[in-house]
Amino acid sequence: MPLSPAVIPELRRLLGPDGLVVTPEGRMTYECDMHTFYKGTPELVALPRTTAQVMELVRLCRRERVAVIPRGSGTGLIGGATAPQGGIMISTTRMNEILEIDLANRSATVQAGLINVWLSNAVRDRGYFFAPDPSSQMVSSIGGNASTNAGGPHCLKYGVTVNHVLGLEVVTGAGELARLGGKVADRAGYDLTGVTVGSEGTLGIVTAVTVRLLHTPEGVRTALAAFASIEDASEAVSAIIAAGIVPAALEMLDAAIIRAINEGIHAGYPTGAAAVLLIELDGPQAEVAAQAERVAAICRDHRPLAIRVATTEAERTLLWKGRKEAAGVLGRMTANWLLQDAVVPRSKLPAIMREVAAIAARHQLLIANVFHAGDGNLHPLICYDERRPGERERAIQANEELLAACIALGGSVTGEHGVGVDKAKNLPKQYAPADLNFMARLRRAWDPDNIMNPGKLLPSHPACGEGLRVGAPVRIPSGAWV
Amino acid sequence: MTRPATVAARLGAFSGPDLPDPDGLRSCVHCGICLPQCPTYQILGEEMDSPRGRLYLVRAAAEGRLDITPTFTRHLDLCLGCRACETACPSGVPFGRLLEATRGQIERRGRGPARRALETLIFGLFPHPRRLGPALRLLALYQRSGLQSLVRARGLLRPFPRLRAMEQLLAAVPRVGRLPALVPAVGARRGRVGLLTGCVQRLLYPQVNAETARLLSRAGWDVVIPAGQGCCGALHLHGGRLDEFRRLAGALAQAFPEALDHLVVNAAGCGSAIREYGHWLGEAAPAAALARKTRDVTELLVNADLPLRPVEAVATYHDACHLVHGQGIRSAPRALLARIPGLRLVELPESDLCCGSAGVYNLLEPQMADRLLERKVDNIAATGATLLVAGNPGCLLQIAKGCRARGLVVEVLHPVEVLARAVGP
Amino acid sequence: MTSALGERLRAVVGAEHLADGASAAVDGVAPRFVARPANVAEVSRLLGLAHAEGLAVAPRGAGTAQGLGNPPTRLDLVIELGRLNRVVEYEPADVTVSVEAGMTLDDLERVLGKHRQVLPLDPPGWRARTVGGVLATNASGPWRFRYGTGRDALLGVRFVQADGTVTWGGSRVVKSVTGYDIPKLLTGALGTLGVIVETTLRLHPSPECERSWLLGFASLDLARGCLAALLDSALQPSRVEIVNAGTLAALGEPVTAAALAVSIASVDAAVAAEGAELDRLARAAGGGARQLADDVWERYGSLFAGARGVRLRLACLATSVTELVALVDALAHRHGLGARVGGCAGLGALTAVLEGECAPDAWEPAILGPLRDRLEGEGGSVIVEQCPLALKERIDVWGPVDPQALALIRRIKTEFDPTGVLNPGRFVSRL
Ligand SMILES: Cc1cc2nc3c(=O)[nH]c(=O)nc-3n(C[C@H](O)[C@H](O)[C@H](O)COP(=O)(O)OP(=O)(O)OC[C@H]3O[C@@H](n4cnc5c(N)ncnc54)[C@H](O)[C@@H]3O)c2cc1C
Ligand code: SF4
Ligand code: SF4
Repeated sequence: MPLSPAVIPELRRLLGPDGLVVTPEGRMTYECDMHTFYKGTPELVALPRTTAQVMELVRLCRRERVAVIPRGSGTGLIGGATAPQGGIMISTTRMNEILEIDLANRSATVQAGLINVWLSNAVRDRGYFFAPDPSSQMVSSIGGNASTNAGGPHCLKYGVTVNHVLGLEVVTGAGELARLGGKVADRAGYDLTGVTVGSEGTLGIVTAVTVRLLHTPEGVRTALAAFASIEDASEAVSAIIAAGIVPAALEMLDAAIIRAINEGIHAGYPTGAAAVLLIELDGPQAEVAAQAERVAAICRDHRPLAIRVATTEAERTLLWKGRKEAAGVLGRMTANWLLQDAVVPRSKLPAIMREVAAIAARHQLLIANVFHAGDGNLHPLICYDERRPGERERAIQANEELLAACIALGGSVTGEHGVGVDKAKNLPKQYAPADLNFMARLRRAWDPDNIMNPGKLLPSHPACGEGLRVGAPVRIPSGAWV
Repeated sequence: MTRPATVAARLGAFSGPDLPDPDGLRSCVHCGICLPQCPTYQILGEEMDSPRGRLYLVRAAAEGRLDITPTFTRHLDLCLGCRACETACPSGVPFGRLLEATRGQIERRGRGPARRALETLIFGLFPHPRRLGPALRLLALYQRSGLQSLVRARGLLRPFPRLRAMEQLLAAVPRVGRLPALVPAVGARRGRVGLLTGCVQRLLYPQVNAETARLLSRAGWDVVIPAGQGCCGALHLHGGRLDEFRRLAGALAQAFPEALDHLVVNAAGCGSAIREYGHWLGEAAPAAALARKTRDVTELLVNADLPLRPVEAVATYHDACHLVHGQGIRSAPRALLARIPGLRLVELPESDLCCGSAGVYNLLEPQMADRLLERKVDNIAATGATLLVAGNPGCLLQIAKGCRARGLVVEVLHPVEVLARAVGP
Repeated sequence: MTSALGERLRAVVGAEHLADGASAAVDGVAPRFVARPANVAEVSRLLGLAHAEGLAVAPRGAGTAQGLGNPPTRLDLVIELGRLNRVVEYEPADVTVSVEAGMTLDDLERVLGKHRQVLPLDPPGWRARTVGGVLATNASGPWRFRYGTGRDALLGVRFVQADGTVTWGGSRVVKSVTGYDIPKLLTGALGTLGVIVETTLRLHPSPECERSWLLGFASLDLARGCLAALLDSALQPSRVEIVNAGTLAALGEPVTAAALAVSIASVDAAVAAEGAELDRLARAAGGGARQLADDVWERYGSLFAGARGVRLRLACLATSVTELVALVDALAHRHGLGARVGGCAGLGALTAVLEGECAPDAWEPAILGPLRDRLEGEGGSVIVEQCPLALKERIDVWGPVDPQALALIRRIKTEFDPTGVLNPGRFVSRL
């Protein structure tokens, strides 16, 4: 439903004179996240500072039957923080306070808009860190990380965001403020925290997050192994995992990415290699030392071109900087791109990499790879130039084939980026109608009027939404089923 | 990429020469990595006042989805041009050049009367050292003149106290005699350099120029200081007055002899603008040759063989935007300070966050400038340093003002001044 | 009617797998039948039938945790999942496994052990428990400190909804954000949203070497100091349990006022180095460390398993554990009860078994009330995991639930099981 202009004065009273973006130019800059392919301009952008303001906002939207689109730092890769159906976008960028750091209980509570790395920066001196480290951590918000259940290189050992969220403060689509979990995470009842994490703003808007902090490990060793073929590198990855070693991170980068990173960030990755593994081990010194030898031995068994170990913190930082900013360098590589985030079982890595190469060859496209190899979480970057006739179509075709291949190997549509509008259509590849129907009904418990980030996460297009025709809510007086 | 000024073209809402480079615009992948580094985004938390948002607006205009509206202009005006986003950007987006080209477009469309009055005042004074000094001294008179009421009526009172602050500062500056045209090398001769004396530097910080010349000569350089050198055009470039900028750049190149090893600059804003000459005038232009020789003074002095006496102080270093982001100079000034015995260097939190000075930004956008200055002074206070070192006169002026207003007892110095103390008379 | 129903149930599972319910009572409520389905399809048909007939169903794994929750308000059919005990898919190189829900952890351990892998879920009495049961009750043990709980292990889940619809949530790979995280929803839901029939689980490599130590202290304060130092160090223990005197005595260890039982798992050299560091920490805190036998954890777990006494699950802040142990001890002492307390000190997840005579009416004011009052402020909770029926009828076994969270929980339950087929009355707020 289009927004009534009458709400603007009401919102100004609520948010103050500078708390609302109304100009077309201003709103335009909020029309997409990093996946600029999907655009949708919000009718208003609200910049609240407090949870109370967020609650009032959602209530107003519910009253007016207007869509609410939560937005963190807008680094999403799935068209999640966009307003294809209009509505009010709620940006959390001004909600960026650290509310509490409680190191004795190894936890912190922050407002949703706090930038991920700022939390680690705040506790680093005292020997702690926040483990989820999406490569966007220097900009993405913790609320956004929680809402997409972001992963990152170090999630191989430490788990993804949900494994580190103890509690959430969330304003549901019903306009209610719910405090789920907390510093004491165990609660009787359903794990509502666990379900809300990763819900991409379709259940409610997260206003604060209580997270687990971890103690910095005693030892860290970062190494880079270069290989003459992607297959050798993939096999080395599978072998490391199969050997029972859990590196803190195990990332793969291929030649195209290496070239762009070297150009953009001067990370000094070895040129001439077809693939590079970035391997980090952390933990007790003695463990790191022992495992480093075994990892090196495994790499040596797979015909490496070179193995390089970072000897100083500066070298380590540089190795990581290259990896962390890889997504940003794609501007140097291609005019347009499609990015996959599918996952395959770890033993299938060599097979899928062969398939990626075959698909690229078949469609005469460059598919660059930089990904969380240890988790089997691929990020094939399909490069194309829409100005060249037919290329876009070929890219889309390659994308479909790639996804199908991953699913056929027992994988998942998206490992960490989320669904958004981009991948919603793909859910039926992984789920039966009944499974999707269950999710759609679950959503209704939080968001009875379907105002929260509509059109995201679940397929809603009639053509693919067969299973989603949610029945009318069963109205049963409370307590009747007891 | 060189884009000769004469080629006329159209690009969406833009037209004429000096279009924002479409490839540069396209190289922004909308990743947002630059956001947290952007001062205006940090203060306002709004997308359209972030680098990504600004580029998005410019791109939309280039694609014809948007016209150069007052709101468009507003968000570009609020940009400090500090280029912190450029340092952060992994995709190599040439933000500074895109901004300057866009400002050129905005200027060409013409400004509203209020802004025009202010710009006339600023550009009528600043790049003209011979006018700026007397002008500031005439300020008191000016205040009582009819012009003041005009300015007031236009709601342009806010920048006023800043001009007055400068005037006070100027009164306190010791008179330093004109620099000779040549300061010969002392001892083993390493080569011959030109010294850019700058507009603001020469007026407000003449001792920095004098010490620069003296230390360079002690380090073995013949220092050529042409008396007729004019303005480098930095302010014009940042303000989008590209034609004037080109004219000034050409004249500056004329003023210096060709046979120089380096052109030494001790004002970051000037250095950064001069390094852009090739882009704006073409690599074949004499100005471009001058640009290729340009070095910040700290780059030449960092390894200079100078006798150093202890300077007992706790110092902290502020990264002038146009040094760190504009010229990528981060370590040379720090290394130079670290060489001085007795000097304890503590790292300034957010050292590379703009202080709000940004050329004449503090005159044009005093509110945002003040908020950034507050933050800078907070950070300085937190270090406990008694010496704040920065390599740009604008920053020195701005930070000194902020510390004074706060009652923070901190000496604000150029790296060359600190080195001069160590070297002794 | 009964016989007609019996006929229809028999038609699903076969005569030999349908039994009279008398022996399968849950908190004194006996179902009419116990059905032992062979596969997912049978579970689905059983629930479809129950849904159509308005029957109340209680899923059952090994039956070791049937004491959890309120007494059922109704019960017609127990679905026992013991025959769903197959490995669906196990590729060791993936370090994940898919198994049916009725498989016991002991059987699973045998499968995984051959490949030096482990599912690190070790709640009390874990060997006998089934995968589905452990997940549905979100039971955990000492390993939780390092590996987390069922919510961290469960990657994918197949379950049968109240109306018999077979549903899948999550994925078979270690990382997936495709759609909502249904596995989290099912974990700890006590089967009230669906019967878990198949799971995909994240595994871990078995550690090469693990050693355990007991750090004894003359006072709880000293133990607290050591715990704080341990948690603030770079040590990476696998288990950090705090135990009271009652537990120490039951273990046959020298009794001190308080103790920490710690295990470290890694490569040999690291275990040795960390063990030495642990010893140093214990001494610095005014105590001492002693190495424990390898079988200690099995014995330790059994102290908190079994059906005797009243078993409490306490959740508190890590900084409150010593105080809470003291409070349980004091309350037990005051009322003449014996108490064994133990639990994950680093995460504030304790279990207490109280034994002895205490009138059912006295429990609430004497024990539960004071504990819940103490924990309310920090968001902690006390769940009565097991107790005699006479007591259960007089107390709220789950304790209070935040009203906003409860509103959501209610709406979810109403959405998926409006007529109350699955475990009616047993969950929080008697849902
Ligand atoms: C360079 C780069 C590297 C990246 N690397 C990774 C990576 O390694 N791993 C990874 O997982 N992702 C990665 N991403 C994707 C992205 O950064 C993550 O998805 C991140 O979690 C998004 O955070 P955000 O604050 O930018 O959220 P947004 O993009 O603003 O929003 C993402 C989604 O969450 C919702 N949302 C945001 N905030 C809230 C809130 N407070 N309450 C409710 N809903 C909310 C939005 O509606 C939207 O659907 C990368 C992105 C970039 C640009
Ligand atoms: S300017 Fe660079 S860092 Fe900023 S959004 Fe664009 S590509 Fe990313
Ligand atoms: S130049 Fe500075 S103020 Fe302007 S967008 Fe870039 S970082 Fe922000």
